[in-house]
Amino acid sequence: MIKFFSDIKKYASYIFYSAKAELKSEVANSILNWIWWILEPLCFMGIYAFVFTIFFKGKVKYIAAFIFLGITVWEFFNVMLKTSVKLVRSNKPIVSKVYVPKYILIVEKILRNGFKTMISFLIVFVLMFIYRVPLSWQMLWAIPILVSFIIFTFGACSILLHFGVYVEDLANFTNIALRLLFYATGVFYNLADKITGELGYWIVRLNPLALYLNCMRESLLYGTMPNLPWLGIWTVFGILMCFVGIKLIQKNENSYVKVL
Amino acid sequence: MRDIAIHIENLNVSYKELSAYSIKRMFLKGGKKKDKSFHALKNVSLDIKKGEILGIIGKNGSGKSTLLNTVAGIFAPDSGTIDLNGKKVSLLSIGVGFQKDMSGRENIVLNGLLLGFSEEEIREKMPDIIEFSELGSFIDKPVKTYSKGMYSKLAFSITAFLETDIILIDEVLSVGDEHFKKKSSAKMKELISDKNRTVLIVSHSISTLRKLCTKMLWLHDGKIKMLGDTNEVLTAYEQYM
Repeated sequence: MIKFFSDIKKYASYIFYSAKAELKSEVANSILNWIWWILEPLCFMGIYAFVFTIFFKGKVKYIAAFIFLGITVWEFFNVMLKTSVKLVRSNKPIVSKVYVPKYILIVEKILRNGFKTMISFLIVFVLMFIYRVPLSWQMLWAIPILVSFIIFTFGACSILLHFGVYVEDLANFTNIALRLLFYATGVFYNLADKITGELGYWIVRLNPLALYLNCMRESLLYGTMPNLPWLGIWTVFGILMCFVGIKLIQKNENSYVKVL
Repeated sequence: MRDIAIHIENLNVSYKELSAYSIKRMFLKGGKKKDKSFHALKNVSLDIKKGEILGIIGKNGSGKSTLLNTVAGIFAPDSGTIDLNGKKVSLLSIGVGFQKDMSGRENIVLNGLLLGFSEEEIREKMPDIIEFSELGSFIDKPVKTYSKGMYSKLAFSITAFLETDIILIDEVLSVGDEHFKKKSSAKMKELISDKNRTVLIVSHSISTLRKLCTKMLWLHDGKIKMLGDTNEVLTAYEQYM
């Protein structure tokens, strides 16, 4: 664990430079590209808001902000996991030439995607402003929720990175699992409305993504206290996953290249 | 006695049971596929002194590149140790690690940072690298637009100017066109002959090795077959082949 933090410090400039350069290369070809960072999620939100208010007659308050927050939280997790499974493979030119602690690659991706997520959050705030969502102290819960969410994501990614090297089709498997998780997360609808009774109660607690998303919505949009006990449980679990993932990577990372 | 730059003891590297398996195959055939174990380096012990230029020869698959990769810290040894005394090490081989979507300039910085240089050190050397690579305005274009020659020119220039204490060279002593070949081999000689630098060269070109190296290692099936004076080892190797 000490090695992990000293590695982060040692490679900090690499992480920052690489994330910056990656973002830059994405927009290098046209100025329009960075507008797409905003436009694409906005359009999706528009479509879903339309579909869910017209066809499903959802009665969710602040529907656009509700959905957009869902997309923001979900997309970060989704993209991070999908990239992590293939991370060593897609960085083959680098990892086969010079030693780099492999979790540095995850931290770099968190930073890169985190930047885009921040833009999304800004849009959420704009929407909240338009809806005149009342300000409340409960909104501050969003910060610890976000920290816990990032820890959880990192833990999941580090474990996936390790097994992604050895299991060729783990990427396919991850995609399927993520799709299932997606519908059990309630990105576009309120899970509590759709699934009632015992099952609904457990799904929003046992599915960490649903929990994080619900907590986020409760604190930011509805000014209520998030579910702290379960948030605590998932934070502890996230930290545990980080430990396992980091240990796995530290123990095996120099054998990864042999498999590629 | 001059100090030891690289201390290798009882090094074993193998590629056993490491090929990837798939969930699909697990369901279809039941169980893992059989893996053949390949023992690439067997009990190699070796001391390389500071300033030494060690040539490594041997037929294909004798473990030459594995040795370089392990010294560079890219492969983990199964057993045994490699001690570099905290020196910086860089590996120069065909197709250096570039991020294809990023510009040449960004790749220089990224490579430098990974090799352990600070951003200022890299910025300082940037003009030299760019000039030597002869890439001109292409340096700010994404690397994916480069030709093979440009690619290797840039790779060579990075390693040549971001000088590490230990340089590992895998089969690239000359790159690019005739003109760049001359230039790079001159630069390479200058690099290699620095008394403070330790160099390991893998090559099949006996005449080049004879010119450059101060010591020669002959690997055969992962074991040291001969280690010693350049001429002696090369002569023995030629007779064997």
